Amino acid sequence: MTARDRCLRAAVVGALTVVVAAVSSATATPRTGTVEIALLQGEQLIYVERPGSTVSSAVRALLAGPTKAEAANEVTTQIPSGTTLRGVSIKNGVATVDLSDKIAAGTRAESLSARITQIVLTATRFRNVRYVRILVKGGTPLGLFPGFVTRYPLTSKDVTAPDVPPPKQPAPIKQGAPSEATRVLQQALADRGFMTAADVDGRPGPRTTSAVVAFQKWAGLGRDGVTGAATRAALAASSRPTPIGAGSGHRVEVLLDRQLALVEDGSQVTRILDVTTGKPGFETPTGSYRVFRKEQRSWSVPYKVWLPWASYFVGGVAFHEYPDVPPFPASHGCVRVPRWDAQWLYQQTPTGTPVTVLGRSR
Amino acid sequence: MKALLAGLAVALVLAATAGAEPPPTKTSGVLTVGLAMPAAGFQVGAVRGRRVVLAKGLEIDLARILANRLGIPRVRFVNERLFSTLLNPGPKDWDIALAEISVTAPRAQRVDFSTPYLSADQGVLVRRSLEPNPKSIAALRKLQLCAERATTGSQLVVRTIKPRRKPLLLSDPSTLSYALFTKRCDAIVADAPTLAVLRRQAPDRYGPLVGRVVTHEKYAIALETGSSLRPQIDAALRTAIRDGTLETLRRRWLGVDTAKLPALR
Repeated sequence: MTARDRCLRAAVVGALTVVVAAVSSATATPRTGTVEIALLQGEQLIYVERPGSTVSSAVRALLAGPTKAEAANEVTTQIPSGTTLRGVSIKNGVATVDLSDKIAAGTRAESLSARITQIVLTATRFRNVRYVRILVKGGTPLGLFPGFVTRYPLTSKDVTAPDVPPPKQPAPIKQGAPSEATRVLQQALADRGFMTAADVDGRPGPRTTSAVVAFQKWAGLGRDGVTGAATRAALAASSRPTPIGAGSGHRVEVLLDRQLALVEDGSQVTRILDVTTGKPGFETPTGSYRVFRKEQRSWSVPYKVWLPWASYFVGGVAFHEYPDVPPFPASHGCVRVPRWDAQWLYQQTPTGTPVTVLGRSR
Repeated sequence: MKALLAGLAVALVLAATAGAEPPPTKTSGVLTVGLAMPAAGFQVGAVRGRRVVLAKGLEIDLARILANRLGIPRVRFVNERLFSTLLNPGPKDWDIALAEISVTAPRAQRVDFSTPYLSADQGVLVRRSLEPNPKSIAALRKLQLCAERATTGSQLVVRTIKPRRKPLLLSDPSTLSYALFTKRCDAIVADAPTLAVLRRQAPDRYGPLVGRVVTHEKYAIALETGSSLRPQIDAALRTAIRDGTLETLRRRWLGVDTAKLPALR
């Protein structure tokens, strides 16, 4: 598949899908003869259509997971393949969904709880379903799905509402004593767009380390954040990066191979940010998108985590702040930004800002 | 009563004739195990009333291993909705009960306890990328510590560790673990097995379990007072400890062997 095909597909799937949080209050009626199932993309759920008309057909389609085309756009499911439906019954607004024990396989809390969210949000798309009781092998689950009390039927609100308060302001960034050597290094990084000029203060700390890592990623060096001889020499010999693809105006390029985000204006790169994108199986989808939804505090419904300063650009895939930005792909498909840069990037990416995700940048 | 006596007589005869016969249990050939689900990592599953249709966890595996070593062909699990029911005085409909029951003197008057299978000291779980990892109480004192209010962990922090910075005492376990994930806390103090399970469920959210503060709490199997099964359960349990079976279970379900964590002093 060519990059262009992927882009086209991304656009098609994007048009057919709806981000859950945007419509959580409205119960949009699917077209006649179709049902909607809750799959995952990035840090959020998306609804996609399937042929069918009953809760049972919707749950069966959900268990079957994404189509090949959807999977190519990194639409995923947390429900283990091979999970079977033992039965569905509906009475007084309560849908009882009985599943095989495969649904409870594994020990990862985020996966186990995301499965419940997917099932509840799929069943409650039907007007006659207000509550969902989940059974495993005909029994009431006890402790199989961390974060949920499955002894009682669940509503869509039970699975979408945050269960922890939004994070308070984190502790201030620890910086070391200022030195001339650090100031010189920071100035060199700032001249090339890896730091902002305002942050050149001579004090070592995570902000400077992250800028060094960003440079190492750009230059193809080991990503250790240590300014050794090789890094120093490469930095001295380098100039400010230029945009990878053709483009104009204010935009962002995300380079998956280098784990960097480039903020650009015309032919200029204004900043290069150290970021972390989707891990294997959750790769950030390549293609051209636009920022369509912004939330200063965004709650990841399936994975139960706060995402401060989130700018969504396709499905549930966003730029957002995260406590950990390791130098390798680690997210569910989103672009993690360190906390000292997250708010700045949020301000730089108003709704409509073009975002291009490139698999290869050299 | 008559049927029971007849059954007992048959069992005794069988036991006398064949040396390898399984020990007498409530239902012959079945080890009935009392549970109080759920406890993450230890026992989770699905129930219909008291009947357990699905069970998994460290204690579930342990019960099956013990039955196997005692030569009892089948294991049946029954669940109590309330943990306290397991420790009510009087006759039981199960042979053994496993539910992270910590051994205390008042409890020992109501049920008999096996030899312990897990030490439940207080553990210290640190945030990601904390450097260096604390190796002593003195090192813990310099960190931003957090614990759940009104627990052994919070008492230990306030009374014994006495950190320099005011500790954060949070109202529930999920807020506590979230504060560690967002790095508001450098380290949290709580029951070591609970912390081990927390980390096993979300390994990329936290740093390592760096050690424990010894409180001498221990988990053991409960049996009906005067149960004739106790010597055999004890013997099988000691073998499981000696031959590394229990260590394997701890690593599988808790991710670490909490007994081997360094003790912080």
